[in-house]
Amino acid sequence: MAGKNEYTPMPSRLQDIIKQAENEWTFRFTYVGPVKPGQFFQVSIPKVGEAPISVSGIGEDFVDLTIRKVGKVTDYLFENFQAGDSLFIRGPYGNGFDVEEYAKGEMIIVAGGTAVSPIRGVVQYLCKTDHPQDTHLIAGFKNPDEIMFKPDFEEWKDLIDLTVTVDGAPEGYEGNVGLVTQYIPDIPIRDIESCKAIVVGPPPMIKFSIIELVKRGFNEEHIWISDSRKMSCGIGKCGHCRVNSKYICIDGPVFKYTEHRALVD
Amino acid sequence: MTTRDINTKKFKKNAFRYSKVRGETASRVRCPGGEIDVESLQRVVDIAKKYGQGTVNITNRQGFEIPGISLDDIDAVNHALQTIIENRGVNQEEYNGGYPASGTRNVVACPGKKLCPFGCYDTKAFAQEIDKAIFPNDHHVKIAFTGCSNDCAHVRLNDFGIMGQTEPQYNRDRCVGCEQCVKYCKKRSVGALSVVNGKIVRDTNKCIGCGVCINYCPTRAWTRSKEEYFRVVLLGRTGKKNPRLAEDFLKWADHDSIKKMIVNVYAYLDEYLDKAAVESKEHIGYIVDRTGFEEFLKYIMKGVELGPKCEMQGRLYWGGKRYDQTNELKKSMFRFSEREE
Amino acid sequence: MGYVLSNEGINKAFEALRKEYRIFAPVLKVGEGRFKDTDVIRYDFVDSYDEVEMDKRSDFSYKDIVTPLSESMFFFTEDQIREANFDASPVIVLMRACDINAVERLDQIFLANGEHNDYYYERRREVIKFALIGCGKTCEDGFCVDMGSNKAEDYVFSLDPKDGKVYVNVKEDDLDAAFADNSESSADVVPQFVTENEVHVERPEEVPLTLFKDEMWDEYSKRCINCGRCNFVCPTCSCFTIQDLFFTDNGKVGERRRVNASCMVDGYTDVAGGLVQRRSNGERMRFKVLHKVYDFRKIFGYDMCVGCGRCDTVCPEYISFSNCINKLNARVKELEG
Repeated sequence: MAGKNEYTPMPSRLQDIIKQAENEWTFRFTYVGPVKPGQFFQVSIPKVGEAPISVSGIGEDFVDLTIRKVGKVTDYLFENFQAGDSLFIRGPYGNGFDVEEYAKGEMIIVAGGTAVSPIRGVVQYLCKTDHPQDTHLIAGFKNPDEIMFKPDFEEWKDLIDLTVTVDGAPEGYEGNVGLVTQYIPDIPIRDIESCKAIVVGPPPMIKFSIIELVKRGFNEEHIWISDSRKMSCGIGKCGHCRVNSKYICIDGPVFKYTEHRALVD
Repeated sequence: MTTRDINTKKFKKNAFRYSKVRGETASRVRCPGGEIDVESLQRVVDIAKKYGQGTVNITNRQGFEIPGISLDDIDAVNHALQTIIENRGVNQEEYNGGYPASGTRNVVACPGKKLCPFGCYDTKAFAQEIDKAIFPNDHHVKIAFTGCSNDCAHVRLNDFGIMGQTEPQYNRDRCVGCEQCVKYCKKRSVGALSVVNGKIVRDTNKCIGCGVCINYCPTRAWTRSKEEYFRVVLLGRTGKKNPRLAEDFLKWADHDSIKKMIVNVYAYLDEYLDKAAVESKEHIGYIVDRTGFEEFLKYIMKGVELGPKCEMQGRLYWGGKRYDQTNELKKSMFRFSEREE
Repeated sequence: MGYVLSNEGINKAFEALRKEYRIFAPVLKVGEGRFKDTDVIRYDFVDSYDEVEMDKRSDFSYKDIVTPLSESMFFFTEDQIREANFDASPVIVLMRACDINAVERLDQIFLANGEHNDYYYERRREVIKFALIGCGKTCEDGFCVDMGSNKAEDYVFSLDPKDGKVYVNVKEDDLDAAFADNSESSADVVPQFVTENEVHVERPEEVPLTLFKDEMWDEYSKRCINCGRCNFVCPTCSCFTIQDLFFTDNGKVGERRRVNASCMVDGYTDVAGGLVQRRSNGERMRFKVLHKVYDFRKIFGYDMCVGCGRCDTVCPEYISFSNCINKLNARVKELEG
């Protein structure tokens, strides 16, 4: 007999909705089970569709999925659900970040925009180690209005080496203004050889951030990125997310940079 | 050179043309459905070499015309035409007598289903079948067959224009919603398809039965109807007085009804043709203008039983420029030259 | 056991099989081709042997039975999710060797790629048995010999029509009686396999990364019309897209279904927000071709393409997949040299 139907949407109660920016809200879904930062769930709305969303936070009985209102499914989600409502998810899928590996030493995380979501869990984990100060996070957003996870930054700023920056800001803005890449050369690193890095965000940001890291003598083998593609199944069947011999949904979405650069769409 | 005393009416009826060159004529070779076998084609060449001047005109109605023939050679040419007439299956009254009439024009057909990817039926076979049923006849009747709604055969310039239709058959289970039918129906046809819940909905009123959706469907969700259907357009014409396109009369019509209607038109002409018409030649449309469409309809629909799918246009109105009323061109809003001032 | 059956005998054998099995086989669908008066050979359920198209390779493959073009997954009511039913009665699928080899490829994707099995594939796959249609001679465009998929051993019985008789080799004991009872005689029957194709391909062992953006794909940007026929007829193409819908009447009842997808057709990579990969048809061609003769091999150890040649036969633009493989091989050699 055929085994479990992995496509079956699992009911999940929406515990909370936290508005990060106008079109980026964190939906707190009830979930108990194994899950890693960098993995994703299919948010499943019967009669509307499914959307793969990466995990932006992990709790005892919940996962946070930070969602950008950008299409049919997410529009429906933003417009029709409130805390306390029940809807459906399935997952988690994908490999996720290997947080234990990152906890071993110094760590640089460069994240742009919505891509802060998948690394939020990584930072949360690293904050709980006995050397959170070895974590260097540069988080970049387009403008001050689009800064997400503000309470987290407040909480992290005294624990880790945190830089929050915006590409541009109106006159009088007191925070950092500038691209994430310009902060990379000045990150204080004791041992560049063993230091590891995660770079997530729009492809050009990833590209130029890695150039900056390599300039500093970074070992390319120590860089991880997270990728995304169209997905229907989330479990390596539907084919949409395949790039060469890798399926983003099962072999990724987290890849070693050296492995990922050999993938051509 | 002997004195010529020749009946021009007779040789014109015999499918020889009156030439501006005195003493010469041109032989018109009838090719129903615009089809000719190579043996006949070789005969055309032979006649042009032997009796003509080594050239052949291809006529607008898909026949051949061999110019430069001496009026003295008409009999000889008629003998030479015999094989062609037999090969083409054209009705004849007298062996070696050439073509018995020229009034009812060659029946035109586009390549149709045998060659064209969009052809909905065998245009040439239908054209030849009709030619068999109506020829010889002196009445000036133009009939043309085209395989699909594209009307490559320009059937809208004919008295009877027949356009092939297919009724698209949709197998939902084979449809993956790739929407190529929707895209191509919009780009190459009328935009009768839309997507509802990932499947295709066909606006049956808008659909013209061209079959574009079927051609472009990659999964065979769309297929052709077993039945062949036809759009019938009526009474288009070129000409000096009031050239106009034929108007839609029937859609989703059947083969047998069309054949009956075309055959029936001759009784109408026998009855109503203007006896004083120059060379007994009058476009049917002008006769219909006189008798009224209802009378025309009464004749052509005699014994015709249209199929259950067939839809008929109740009243027909034709457009086109009326040169007998005005030859003026309307002044442009835009000035292209200063000459007017 | 091997048997020789008359036409009447084989039809009786099918009748006997039908008591327990549905039989899914290539059928000539008259008039269902692209053009007027053209036919298509595609799979359908049959009751008798006479309905089966035994002479020519089918235009569409067997795969409708395991990955239907359109398949319901769930039905939704206001507060319920119901898994779509399917007919679980056993099926015998009549297939040629290339297609039996193709199932092995689909099994990899649906049952071995990643930790989760594809439930919908699996439940259909479980009720299927393969019967082999012998190939006495190569089909048009086929290159199964070079792809190593001209032979198949995984079948319950084989059918080889010859001189008005059908030669049957029965491998599954349960099915033996159906043929034995209706046979003219017993015989040593060895099903026929193609040993020589007219078309030959040479595949590159390794494909350098530079080739992914090579100019060799440019011609396909101009020639290909991205209709996806090559994918839809392919016995190894497995991609699908999940669609949700609500029945417009009240909006409360709906369905989730999946439909076959094509990496050549627009929309394959489109994500909400507008990002699109591989806009040009040349890039799509490269994506498809390399999957069939390279990328799949990197994961599963052998090539995905079984050389059935259907994609060549169906292409409205006369693009030859086999020739593309050869062009790829030549280009790789050229770049290496």
